[in-house]
Amino acid sequence: MSASIRRRLALLVLSSIVLIWGIALVSSYRQAKNEVGEWEEARLAELAQMLALLDQRNLTVLANARIDVREEEKGGEPGANDSDDDDTLPRDALFQVRSANGTVLAGSPQLRALQAWDLPVPRVSGTEDMTLGGQIWHTFTLRDTVLGHTVRVFEPANTRSDLVSGVASRIARPTLIALPVLALLVWFSIGWSLAPLKTLSRVIRVRDINRLEPVDIGRAPTEVRPLVDAINLVLSRLRHSIERERAFTADAAHELKTPLAAIKVQAQLALAESDPSLQQLAMERVVQGVDRSARLAEQLLLLARLDVHERIPTAPLKLTVVAKDALLANEHNAEQKNIRVTLTGDPHAEIKAEPVLIGILLDNLLDNAIKYGSAGGTVEVDVQHTTDRVQLTMRDDGPGVAPDDLARLTNRFFRATGTQSPGSGLGLSIVARIAEHFDATMNINTGIGGRGLAVEVSFPAYIKAG
Amino acid sequence: MRVLLVEDDDLIGCGVEAGLRRAGFTVDWARDGHNADLALTTTTYELVVLDLGLPRVSGMDVLKRLRDAGKDVPVLVLTARGTVADRVGGLEAGADDYLGKPFDLTELIARCRALLRRAQGRSVEVIRYQDLTVNPAAQTVDVGNTRVSLTSREWAILMQLLTHQGFPLSRASLEESLYGWQEEIESNAIEVHVSNLRKKLGAKLIRTVRNIGYVVEKA
Repeated sequence: MSASIRRRLALLVLSSIVLIWGIALVSSYRQAKNEVGEWEEARLAELAQMLALLDQRNLTVLANARIDVREEEKGGEPGANDSDDDDTLPRDALFQVRSANGTVLAGSPQLRALQAWDLPVPRVSGTEDMTLGGQIWHTFTLRDTVLGHTVRVFEPANTRSDLVSGVASRIARPTLIALPVLALLVWFSIGWSLAPLKTLSRVIRVRDINRLEPVDIGRAPTEVRPLVDAINLVLSRLRHSIERERAFTADAAHELKTPLAAIKVQAQLALAESDPSLQQLAMERVVQGVDRSARLAEQLLLLARLDVHERIPTAPLKLTVVAKDALLANEHNAEQKNIRVTLTGDPHAEIKAEPVLIGILLDNLLDNAIKYGSAGGTVEVDVQHTTDRVQLTMRDDGPGVAPDDLARLTNRFFRATGTQSPGSGLGLSIVARIAEHFDATMNINTGIGGRGLAVEVSFPAYIKAG
Repeated sequence: MRVLLVEDDDLIGCGVEAGLRRAGFTVDWARDGHNADLALTTTTYELVVLDLGLPRVSGMDVLKRLRDAGKDVPVLVLTARGTVADRVGGLEAGADDYLGKPFDLTELIARCRALLRRAQGRSVEVIRYQDLTVNPAAQTVDVGNTRVSLTSREWAILMQLLTHQGFPLSRASLEESLYGWQEEIESNAIEVHVSNLRKKLGAKLIRTVRNIGYVVEKA
């Protein structure tokens, strides 16, 4: 059975009520018992006082008569006591009157049978409970100061408990009837209070998968509001990530259209051309176009992978070592444009990153620098180590970028000047994403001698433990 | 027919350039918006093929500046962004036609011809003039029922004169429509080509206007 707030709340509320009612009932029972006890004692005292006023003759008559204590109740409220007092045993009060010197003037003859005829008489007036013939008796002793008589009245204890339990049951009965009604009320009120949760779940359940606007269930109670807010927060994050994804997919598709258009144009040209050398040229360009599409697809995949926030395992690595690899890989391109590439700085500067991704970062930066640098010029790669940072700087002496374009440089698919160079416009945005991934900051300044571009990537330095 | 091609992508640019050349157009290729602006202010083109996604100056800016300057040369826009909003935006900015990438080279050429035809006030592709039947798409010329073969230069001059019937064209303007940026203009070439055309198509077709140039009279 799954946990239900409604069931748990109803159970808690009802058991609390039952507990409190129980305590109230017990304390009322005790109080009623006390009150009844006091009243009974007062009655016994009254009886004793009446007996003290009687003369010898009347006492003797009364001693042989029965004093049923039920009589007066029956006379008081006919019918009403039937249910409260179903004790059928005779409840006769017994008494004994003694003179000042201790001789018995009169007494109920039953006292002899109970072996209570010769009981010692207490010196002071008051109540006393005693066991006579296997039964508890309440007694009351009265010393009459006028005649010097001592009156003692005996009453069996069962007369009291009956009355008290009657009162208790009279209090308890409406409570027992009220309990199921209360349970029902509690159950429905909790259900009604939890209605906003039901509304919320219905609103979410029937929601179209493509609708990501905030959930609105009207006026939500303060307890449900945080839940609604949390759901809306998740929805808005989801919406942003989907929007970003859509924009990326759209951009990627448009970007792929350009190399595809080139391939199609060149292929159609090859088909229409009758001159074999021109046909050959067009076919070579078709291959170029396919290569470019493949490279673009590769870069798109890399960007998509970086977008997924999976943690990539890192290791300490020397930036200069990775830079040397990138230099080697781009040697051919640099030679073609007669560009000199220099590598300077601290060869021991270490960062904590993933070598393949840092390789891609360096490769992209170097590729850009060579692509957009002036033929016969220089590209400088520099690694500097400060106390807590390692800064990589890549400078070229090409035409640079117009100030307006600088901010857009790391945008996906943005391509500034350099129209002669085939590129996807993804290079710098990949560099920026990789840098961000390893908590590095990226800055773009002017390059060598106020010309070209300088890309600065500043990594947190790796500091060996101990 | 001198056409300005504005395209930043090398592979697409050289492909379209070659395709348009094969179709008998004279093509100048500008690789960015800045060069396109420059070409449009210095040279008279009969058609512009414009890529919108250009570095530096966007194709849309080139188009707006061209229209603001009051030039009504037909413009065919090429773009990778082919949504309805993009197309409407391009057309409203003054484009005459629209082709999404990747496009068909033959369709591009057909649309170029259609734009030129519309600019010249013709609704059919084939031009008939007296006993002359000229088909620009097939690049054929018939005199009566006889097919005549022309060189590409002769063909270009004939087309230029036939599409400007009644307007005398100067030697310079004919040269401009004949030679692209990279080509050397041969001296006296126009006279040679015109005399050849007269031999092939009849002496009366092209009339010399003294001190101005040549004209094909209105039919």
